[in-house]
This record gives sequence, C-alpha cells and structure tokens, in this order.
Amino acid sequence: MADHSSHPLDTLPFDAVATAGHYGVAGTLGVTARRIDGLSIATLAARKGDDDALAEAVRGALGLELPRASRAVFAGARTLIGTAPGRWLALSGLDRDIAGTLRAALGPLAAITDQSDAVVTLDLTGPKVADTLAKGALIDLDPRVFLPGMAATTVLAHIGITLWRREEATWRLLVARSFEAALLRFLVSSAAEYGFELDDRG
Amino acid sequence: MRIPCPYCGERDAHEFSYLGDATLTRPDPAAPDAPDRFFDYVYLRDNPAGAHQEWWYHAYGCRQWVKVERNTLTHAIAGARLARDARDAAGDAAGNVPGDAP
Repeated sequence: MADHSSHPLDTLPFDAVATAGHYGVAGTLGVTARRIDGLSIATLAARKGDDDALAEAVRGALGLELPRASRAVFAGARTLIGTAPGRWLALSGLDRDIAGTLRAALGPLAAITDQSDAVVTLDLTGPKVADTLAKGALIDLDPRVFLPGMAATTVLAHIGITLWRREEATWRLLVARSFEAALLRFLVSSAAEYGFELDDRG
Repeated sequence: MRIPCPYCGERDAHEFSYLGDATLTRPDPAAPDAPDRFFDYVYLRDNPAGAHQEWWYHAYGCRQWVKVERNTLTHAIAGARLARDARDAAGDAAGNVPGDAP
C-alpha cells in the first residue's frame, strides 16, 4: 500500500511560492520546471481592420509571420503566440524591451502593453510532463495531439494559463504572477509521484 | 458539455460564462414605446425546449463572445461562430451582438 503518512505539500505553505528543489519520489525525475527570468513580454492587439498591415509590419520588424490561430512561431530568441483573433503575445530573450521595440516598429497599427512582470514563465521538460498536465487540464495535451508549435490559452487546475510546446520535449507555460504559488502547488503535488524538480537557473 | 470555440477549438463549458438568448435585439431606448419594449425584452423571455441560440463568453480562452446553437434538451451543439462574424453575416449593426447599440 502506498505510504500516505507524508505528502510533498505538507511542507509547502499555501501563501508561499515553492522554492527550488526536488519534490516527491526521490531518485527519479519525471518533470523539471524551470522558472525563466529576464524575458521581455508584451501583448499586441491589432487595431480594427488593420490586420494585414500589422502582419506586414511584424514580418519586417521581427521576421515572424503573425499566427492567425492558436499557434506559436519562433525566430531566434523571439516568439509570437496567437491568443485570440487579432491578439498575440510577443516574447523575447534578446530585446530588453520588446514592447518598446514593437511600438517603434508598428506605430499606430497595434495596441502594445508590456507584460514582463505580469506573468511567470515556466519551462517544463521530462518524460512525464504530459501526464502531469493531464491531471489539471481540460484539453487534450497528449504529445501526439498537442504538437510542437501548438498553443492554448486555457485553464490548468482552475488557473488561467497560456501554454505552448516549444519543441518536442519542452513545454512553456505562462501564468499570472499572483497565481504562481497555486500553480506550483499543483505541479508539485501532481508530479510528486514521478519525481519533480523546480529549478531557478533559467 | 464541450463548446467548439471558433478560435480555440473544442473547450469545456467551464471555460465559458453564459449570457443567454442570442435571438433578441435590444430595443431602441429613444423609441416612443421604449418602456413596453424593454419590459418585453427584459422579462418576457422564451424558454425553448430544443434548438436555441445563445451567447457564451470564452473567459478562460480567447475572451471572445461566441454565438452557440445548442439544443437545450440534449446539449448537442450544432454550431458556433464568433459574435463579430455573426454580426458581419447579419449585415447590419443590429445583429444581436452583446453590448451593441441598436
């Protein structure tokens, strides 16, 4: 019978963000979550009727094609995610101020808002990422269905997130900073049976 | 129940919030009989058993209003379109879109 005498959440207060370390089953590693710092993030909303002009300007400025669906596109350190009709998330590990870069390049074609401090970015890797996410997701995140380059704005454990698969083995997740503690509690408890590592070296 | 959001794909109903009947048009408040028409609009609602058109707001996804054709007896969904597209198809600004002036 499983040992229920201790639980990884026992030592994790509700109001504290989990600290880096290993949680759950010792000696194995099913999921690693790496907190990514230093990304510059902005939302981009097309002005009404200017979608084509905006797509053209974004192509020139970032070298990226604006996705017209819930997709992620990448070029170098820059990423664009479709989050709604006429709305995108832009991320960059290169530009210190992606909102400023976009504002200079796109002028009045879009409303641009800096989100760098509003969200926490987590990179999830490991053989049990999909199994862990499945415990809290309402959509099919099977790796055969949710393919690299696909993105979703949805809920995970009742918490609003934006999630995409960057590559075969890496899933990136954005969550509002105020929900970081709750989301990490979900990850810690859900990945504990596989062995979970929270890493701050991103 | 799962709702096929035109942008996000099929999503659980918990991601949405429900507004209600999408077949009604808000009366013109400047009309001489506006009080009577507003009484009808606000209180005298049908409660159809069967095919119905409803507004759902995809709060946890793309944050768009979606016009859903749902059977209220079976929960079978025959179709869904974004409110902005439904309005364009209606051909005028009175296309029953939430928040629109008549």
